[in-house]
Amino acid sequence: MILTSFFEALIKYDFILYALIAGILVGVLAPMIGSVVVIRRLSFIADTISHFSLAGVCLGVILSRVIIFEKIDPVVMGVIFSVIGTLLIEVVRHFYKNYKEISMPIVMSLGLALSGLLINLSPQISLQYTTGLLYGSIYSVSLANLIIILVVSASIIIFAFLFYKPIITLCFDETYARISGLKVRLLQLAITIVLSLVISLFLNVIGVLLISSLMILPIAAAILIGKSFLNTVILSISFSEISVIFGFIISYHTDLSTGPIIIIINLIIYVVIIAIKTIRKRYFKKEENQNLNQI
Amino acid sequence: MRVTVNNLTFAYFNKIILKDLSFNLKSGDFLLVHGRNGTGKSTLIKCLLKINKVANNTIFLDDIDINNIKRFYNIGFVPQKTDFNYEFPITVSEILTCAYRKKKDDFFNSIVNSLDVCSFYTENINNLSGGQLQRVFIARALLSKPKLLIMDEPTVGVDVENVNALHQILTNLKEQDITIILISHDTHFCADIATYTLTLLDNCEYKFTKPGDQDDTN
Repeated sequence: MILTSFFEALIKYDFILYALIAGILVGVLAPMIGSVVVIRRLSFIADTISHFSLAGVCLGVILSRVIIFEKIDPVVMGVIFSVIGTLLIEVVRHFYKNYKEISMPIVMSLGLALSGLLINLSPQISLQYTTGLLYGSIYSVSLANLIIILVVSASIIIFAFLFYKPIITLCFDETYARISGLKVRLLQLAITIVLSLVISLFLNVIGVLLISSLMILPIAAAILIGKSFLNTVILSISFSEISVIFGFIISYHTDLSTGPIIIIINLIIYVVIIAIKTIRKRYFKKEENQNLNQI
Repeated sequence: MRVTVNNLTFAYFNKIILKDLSFNLKSGDFLLVHGRNGTGKSTLIKCLLKINKVANNTIFLDDIDINNIKRFYNIGFVPQKTDFNYEFPITVSEILTCAYRKKKDDFFNSIVNSLDVCSFYTENINNLSGGQLQRVFIARALLSKPKLLIMDEPTVGVDVENVNALHQILTNLKEQDITIILISHDTHFCADIATYTLTLLDNCEYKFTKPGDQDDTN
């Protein structure tokens, strides 16, 4: 009954269909890029870039009032800012040898301060719009937005298929990647640009505060049970898609925001995986001890 | 591959680690590098692999200054087993196929078979013993068809049986005219097949000797 009414709404209202397609795409892309981010121990970078691109979107909204920029989607400015944020992280990193991660909170602080100032300075950025940016407003995805998301998503998936071998080599052993002739810096730059694109494209879909969660939580659960890299990525995409689809259905029937529900479902999956893993570990340990006693 | 190290000096933050180090290796030579912790064994490897930036005209590979080599193609490196994140969810097959980059062919299969990696080919690295992991890294290094093979402490955490197997593998590789540089704490390992021994001493001194030579400290 619940599902029937959801599917009826899906057929009846285009905006629900657009939102669901955008949700399914973010469900694939976020954990896909998240797997590289987590394994390279850069979990905090997603948060930093999302906060920095928030400043870009705010600036985009202000500029949209100026005639020459009025047809430019604020998301474009978000993409530009996310790339600038990424480059800033790289610049600040070079000033430290052992405290490289400090570059991320520094850039994040700048992004947050800029966003705060731009929101204060522009009356056209409403509280509702700001909340939408922070927690996502998936139903605001227009057809034009969806087309951009589809094109960029297809490009990223093709990139991942073409370069998955060098990417895995780089993630596993950077020294080997370097001496085996891989263009490591170029590949690192490409990965970071893809990360920036994913974050800024889905900023208003999932929200600044939640996009990094969708990148990290599914892979955090999958890495505990994944048997291989490919298996881990597939598991994380599955967890992510389960959370997106159920998140939509629950959100539709409860009128609650979709983004936070998706993240809560991901957290539930994470806790279930931890519980299963702990129980299995204890069970096997018990069985092992019994076998030893029998011997 | 010919390796020429010519008055190599390297310092970290004004602390000199290697000073005026020189030696020559021909194709097929086997160099054993010994030395206590902090004498510069790992630094030497990093210089040879261009991870550490060295001055011009100090290291030559096949008579080409290392600073003029943009990409290494014929160098295999077997790192220390402790340098890895064992929680990384990756299988042996993924490590090897990703490193090879081409489709699996007869050469790929011959390397996998010769090192007896087949029996644990689908295993996660987390489940491998020290000896098995070492074979995987040697196989990965050999897939690049190296003319120079650099190994960093390959016997650490490996049982006697696998140390003997590793000795046999290195003997075979030496016969294939591959230049080998092996860093080890174990002064006996491969001493019988080594062409030269480089002993790094405190105060940046070193001894470069042939087996059976008198000590010649620089």
